[in-house]
Amino acid sequence: MAETKKWAMVIDLDRCTGCQACVVACQAENNIPINEEKDFLSRRAKQWIRIDRVWEGTWPNVKARFIPVLCQHCENAPCEPVCPVYATYHNSQGLNVQVYNRCVGTRYCANNCPYQVRFFNFHDPEWPDTFWNQLNPDVTVRSRGIMEKCTFCIQRIRRAERTIEGRDGGKVNDQSLKAGNYMPACVNACPTNTLTFGDINDPNSDVSRRARDPRHYKLLDHIGTSPSVIYLKKVDPNAPEEEAH
Amino acid sequence: MIPKFITPKMLIIPIALGGLLTTAVVILVAIFLLRAWFSTPIQIFGFPGPPEQPIAFPHTAHVDIEGINCAFCHRNVTKGDAATILPVEGCLLCHSTVQGENAPPEVAKVIEHYNNNRPIDWKRVHRLPDHVQFSHEPHVRFLTEVQGLELEAACATCHGDVRDMVEVEQVRSLKMGDCVDCHRDNEVLTDNPDITDCTTCHY
Repeated sequence: MAETKKWAMVIDLDRCTGCQACVVACQAENNIPINEEKDFLSRRAKQWIRIDRVWEGTWPNVKARFIPVLCQHCENAPCEPVCPVYATYHNSQGLNVQVYNRCVGTRYCANNCPYQVRFFNFHDPEWPDTFWNQLNPDVTVRSRGIMEKCTFCIQRIRRAERTIEGRDGGKVNDQSLKAGNYMPACVNACPTNTLTFGDINDPNSDVSRRARDPRHYKLLDHIGTSPSVIYLKKVDPNAPEEEAH
Repeated sequence: MIPKFITPKMLIIPIALGGLLTTAVVILVAIFLLRAWFSTPIQIFGFPGPPEQPIAFPHTAHVDIEGINCAFCHRNVTKGDAATILPVEGCLLCHSTVQGENAPPEVAKVIEHYNNNRPIDWKRVHRLPDHVQFSHEPHVRFLTEVQGLELEAACATCHGDVRDMVEVEQVRSLKMGDCVDCHRDNEVLTDNPDITDCTTCHY
């Protein structure tokens, strides 16, 4: 391995249509139980990636803006130091990971998360009987009393590593494990290429190229969490400086 | 202090109740701890022994005498997560001719399963908890390519000498300590800093 990886995601808000394909894909990939109305009403719905809707302007000139929000995999993650059992920590690839079997369910991490992207299992997950057969075998079904969150689909990263190791003869290198060989479910499902995933330490990767876009910003950057998810501001066709065209 | 008007005789019932309550609590805690310990996949005091399989399949006859390679029946072991077992049709690859007529009772059962289109309900011998993700393929690859073992010896690293087992049973605890010991020992060989990372197995 030449240098360590740091997985990151770029979300181009100009392309997001708010179609929720990423939400559904994540739900299916990560064995997330079905969110019913009562779950939303009790604020216990689990959506590892969600589309926040923001209204902009006043009537009649109102615009709906969409922001996909997932675990930001902060370098300075507020959730990590508060965990009494080290169930959440940073691994060498820059992922903020959650070890389900270590978690004792104190919920400190969720309370300390400024992005509200950690979800607690208040009940054992339930699916209709036939749905149990379509669960993803690569992902643990989280039982009652533990915290869960977006993993950047680490099961897919691991599977890609295994496949590439097997094919290329025992070594994962930067050339072989690159974007396109693997991607999280949400990136895979996005119809408009809003989401890009990759290794931001590699200056030639898609994700670092798009992260250099002048529109880039990070969610709640001023609080110093330094997230790994980079947003690109929406281009407003009606913005004053654009009217000159 | 106990007031004067309460005689020791009157205290017998409350003390007895308190004793019973304490005993009950202690027993409940003991049950909880014992269950927590023993509900892990393997008991500590020896292994539970081989499960009773629907058809007595002697690995001795197939591996030791016939010399069939592990990966012939467990086809996926070098390719994927689960080792897998051949479907009944796979048994019939050989048993349609080998011991086909005048079949001994156990082979007759296999043929009956085939004729009735019924899969064989093999009992699982090795089981990991749900929160552990294990894939055979990288382990077999490491043992055969990096350590240079034959496939059968690679399998025997964890599964013991199945060649000599009439009934297959578990020989290693396969608890986390067992896994981590091996991962630590081979950290240098794999050249993978993540090999002892939690997320290697838990995600």
